[in-house]
Amino acid sequence: MLSADEIGVVLFTLKIACLGTLLILPPGTAVALALARYRGPGKGALETLLSLPLVLPPTAVGILLLEAFSRRAPLGARLASIGLDVVFTWRGVLLATSLMSFPLLVRSARSAFEEVDPRLVGLARTLGCGPIAAFFRVTLPLAWRGVLGGTVLAFARALGEFGATVMVAGNIPGKTQTLALAIFHDNQIGRDDRAVVLAGVTVAVAFAALWTTEWMTRRRSRRAEP
Amino acid sequence: MIELSVELPLAGFTLRVEAALGGRLTAVMGPSGSGKTSLLEAVAGLRSRCRGRIVLNGETLLDEARGIRLRPERRRLGYVPQDAGLFPHLTALGNVRFGARGKTAQVDGAIETLEIRPLLDRFPASLSGGERQRVSLARGLAADPRLLLLDEPLAGLDLGLRERILPYLLRIRDEWSVPMLYVTHNVGEALTLADQVLLLREGRVEAIGAPVDLLSSPALVREAASGIENLFTGSLLSHDRDGGVTRVDLGGRVTVATSLAAERPVGSRVTLAIRAEDVLVVTGPVEGLSARNVYEARVDAVERTGDDVTLRFHLAAGGPPWLARLTPAAVRDLRLRPGSAAWLAVKSHSVHFV
Repeated sequence: MLSADEIGVVLFTLKIACLGTLLILPPGTAVALALARYRGPGKGALETLLSLPLVLPPTAVGILLLEAFSRRAPLGARLASIGLDVVFTWRGVLLATSLMSFPLLVRSARSAFEEVDPRLVGLARTLGCGPIAAFFRVTLPLAWRGVLGGTVLAFARALGEFGATVMVAGNIPGKTQTLALAIFHDNQIGRDDRAVVLAGVTVAVAFAALWTTEWMTRRRSRRAEP
Repeated sequence: MIELSVELPLAGFTLRVEAALGGRLTAVMGPSGSGKTSLLEAVAGLRSRCRGRIVLNGETLLDEARGIRLRPERRRLGYVPQDAGLFPHLTALGNVRFGARGKTAQVDGAIETLEIRPLLDRFPASLSGGERQRVSLARGLAADPRLLLLDEPLAGLDLGLRERILPYLLRIRDEWSVPMLYVTHNVGEALTLADQVLLLREGRVEAIGAPVDLLSSPALVREAASGIENLFTGSLLSHDRDGGVTRVDLGGRVTVATSLAAERPVGSRVTLAIRAEDVLVVTGPVEGLSARNVYEARVDAVERTGDDVTLRFHLAAGGPPWLARLTPAAVRDLRLRPGSAAWLAVKSHSVHFV
């Protein structure tokens, strides 16, 4: 069914998507909470900036990343000097997929946090919780569905990211090739049969992720509302 | 003992409160938007823009000058908001335990006092308004607070339910030695519970004093309550089932007839409320009037209150003063002034149990 190379591609893609999702979860949650609570100047600009990757052509994001992280740019040069080459490496794949999926997590988590009555958080404070304890004992338990939903969306986006990844990391079999890139590659060399098989794999993975989320959400909601 | 000297900018004005509050329960009263809830939140530490000084039993919670600002979680206060504010993802027990830090004796005591043991497994969504309020009170108590802040805990409840929760509040006041700040619009609650009333108006302290002193003064009551109320305590004399009335002895030689309240035992202490606009004022002797309560009285004071005029009377038969609210035109036509003789008439249906 799947060749050893193809299994490698699937595993690499899953690894990148999992790692990227874990990586963006803490900062994404923090940014979402800040956006949900903060009222003041700069909020609109910040929100717009964070949503940009959703509306820009992924290749545009990719070319900007390529410019910033190439060895010719100051940032890229600094990273390369400590052995962290980004361009045309798996780190580039991670960077591109994480950046593209970040806004999905933030948007979903932010609206969930906005639903949490800030007075409940205040009450938790009067009952002896510091800000962090109040987050874990009240805010997160009330908003976890939205955070989980955003996490799954981000994971799915990371699985399928193409445009930004191909610009930053190229399409190097065995090195930076993800499922989305492999499907394109197979099609380009006339192996549509292999492309269809790989497409089937992406359908299965995405379906499993979404369905598990759906199931968890429903199970928990039955328990919480007798 | 709570010493307050706070300033908090609000939307329309700045809340400025200077007060030293002793006593077990202080009722915070005043019209909507006078800053009552903001004051409680400032004491709880939830208003970061609050400046000044708050000292509770000798411990400084806030002192701008000395750079002290205790975080809300360090103040050890119980806060019970108007809508109970229960955590929807926790059972009643989870809520009560939330701030208790494993003090099981405290948790058990709170559960017993509020009689919520049968509710403990249930989630807030399945509790009635009164049950939620009791769980919220228990949660506040279980945290072993040094001060309870209650924001109109009975406001969302219907009259029957209020009467059932009130004894729990009395029990907390009498059995737990926790001082309370209690925001309310209801003069009856303040009279029943408070040993002190703090009256706010547009962010300023209009008066501090004993409930009976403040709440029988028309000028202050007009701000304190939604409607001016005559509040009397007395003992239940008799039920007249055929006549459809219940009679209450108010002391002196004054009895008041109310519509039949047969469920109340004869001899029990009751509080009656009569809205000031439900009191009819007649300048001649009354005959053939359907109102069951007619009293000979004399005007003590006449005061313009907004668009209306509030008059204070004393009855020839003795007892506490009565308030009536009339239009300025009626006062002019009847030539009512301090010293005028008059008769007061009240329908039995206008007399309410508090």
